[in-house]
Amino acid sequence: MKRKLTPANYLALLAATSFFVFPLIAAFEFSLRVNLGKSHGFDNFRWVFQQEGFKTNLGVSFRLALLTAVAVLVLMVPTVVYLHLGGGRWKRMIEFICLVPLVVPVISFALGVGTAFPVFLQSTVYELSFLYVIVSLPYTYRALDVGLSSIPLLTLVEASRASGASMRQTLLFVIVPTIRSAVNGAVFLAIALSLGEFTLAVLLHWDTFPTWIANISQGHILNAIALSVLSLVGAWLVVVVMAIAPKSLRSNKTQEATS
Amino acid sequence: MSQVVAQRTGTPKKGAGPLAYLSRGSTLKSLVPLMPFLAFVAYFLVFPLTFIIRDAFLSNDGKFTLDNFAECFKGVYGHSFAVSIRLSFISAMIGAIAGAIIASAVVKTGTRSRRAIAATASVFANTGGVPLAFMFLAGFGTEGLVTKALKALGWNMYSGSFTLFSETGIILVYCFFQIPLMVLIFTPALENIKPEWREASDSLGGGRFSYFTRISVPLLFPAFLSTTLLLFANSFSAYATARAMTSGTLPLMPLLIGNLVDGNVLANQEHLGHAMAVCMIGVSAIVMGIYLLVLKFSKAKP
Repeated sequence: MKRKLTPANYLALLAATSFFVFPLIAAFEFSLRVNLGKSHGFDNFRWVFQQEGFKTNLGVSFRLALLTAVAVLVLMVPTVVYLHLGGGRWKRMIEFICLVPLVVPVISFALGVGTAFPVFLQSTVYELSFLYVIVSLPYTYRALDVGLSSIPLLTLVEASRASGASMRQTLLFVIVPTIRSAVNGAVFLAIALSLGEFTLAVLLHWDTFPTWIANISQGHILNAIALSVLSLVGAWLVVVVMAIAPKSLRSNKTQEATS
Repeated sequence: MSQVVAQRTGTPKKGAGPLAYLSRGSTLKSLVPLMPFLAFVAYFLVFPLTFIIRDAFLSNDGKFTLDNFAECFKGVYGHSFAVSIRLSFISAMIGAIAGAIIASAVVKTGTRSRRAIAATASVFANTGGVPLAFMFLAGFGTEGLVTKALKALGWNMYSGSFTLFSETGIILVYCFFQIPLMVLIFTPALENIKPEWREASDSLGGGRFSYFTRISVPLLFPAFLSTTLLLFANSFSAYATARAMTSGTLPLMPLLIGNLVDGNVLANQEHLGHAMAVCMIGVSAIVMGIYLLVLKFSKAKP
């Protein structure tokens, strides 16, 4: 519902917008500087795309994000669904476990992983995916929990089981499509986290996109600023488009589901 | 739960509904479907944690000792506790108050713009590290655009002792992700405040001020406090941004741990790093404990 904004509200929104937009504009202006600031152009951006590391490190980060997303789905969806069906008595315990990653600072976690994990796990960059699943637990659990609380889960499962579907079929073809927006939310969270994570990657000595940005910033400040602007605006565009656009799509889906 | 099912489907209780098998059986049996999750968490979370705690109590020759913890509270390490906690506290307070003010404006806008703002806030709340550091250098650095604009308006930010690499500077930078996080979490709490309550207060003769002190504040205080604690934990554990901004010159706990473990400061200091890491977990465990208590308290009151 829409209510009337007071002048103080407008002032707050204006101040907030300027605090967040001005640094971005300033960074964008810096990233366009060429010839030691004498003129402007897109040379810094072009340089970034020509680098060998751009493609490889972005590739590594995307593969990590994909693996993390798949692992989150496979691990969390059945678990949270079970908590809403028969395993209700364990809900508080699992909730608590999912809060633990908030209590453990990532730097402490990274130290533990460095000493605890066997060599065969630490010899592949994909170990990071499993750690990202842990770090994103508080958020993914909440997203799925909220989604499952808002649908008549028992009725759906009953109907599906009574029609002769197996539990696996019910999960894949009834539950997951019904909570698609919650599943999407959990997946986006996991992907955003793995694309931007720096601490674990750098302390476990892996090269990902964020650590690569940090590396090139040491000798090529303007290029690094260009990359920073690019990654932030890119992420922002993707997320805002997803937040606004699927509205019509989603309302169609729920109509189909309920009719 | 099976009883509910049975009643709704009309099947007799003894026969039980089609889902009865899910909740029947022993306690242990009902844990079986949770096994993949529990095994995953045990290996990837609990197992590394036990190693940090074990190493924190070991000396360099592998014997049990408490010296690492004693060392934690001395000199620069002890100082870093104070700096880290003070910095996190101030940035949480600023983030919470500014975020709450913004959220109270955001909640009045339309559904669509609210969604766009939430999405934007979620991106900004996740910025950090080098990209964030550079944006602030470009905006608020000595040669930054905002600095120059303010100078043209007659206020030189750098006339005092301010630099972006000091504690105050870091707090300013942290606002960039703390405020959006507050907006993100606090707006849903504000949405639960019903306009009818305002009308009720008005018709009973309550003014704006009494509505604020007697209705808004008591209702929203638990949500406000719990989110503030979350912001504290968030800046307390922030590493990437502090590292990019200060290159390790400010004595913050995560930065010191990073230096100790990377081994480029002093050799054989790993166990001290582990003890510091355990101390950090202790501090945020206390904060999160209060957070859980506040949440419980707020749920008890409808």
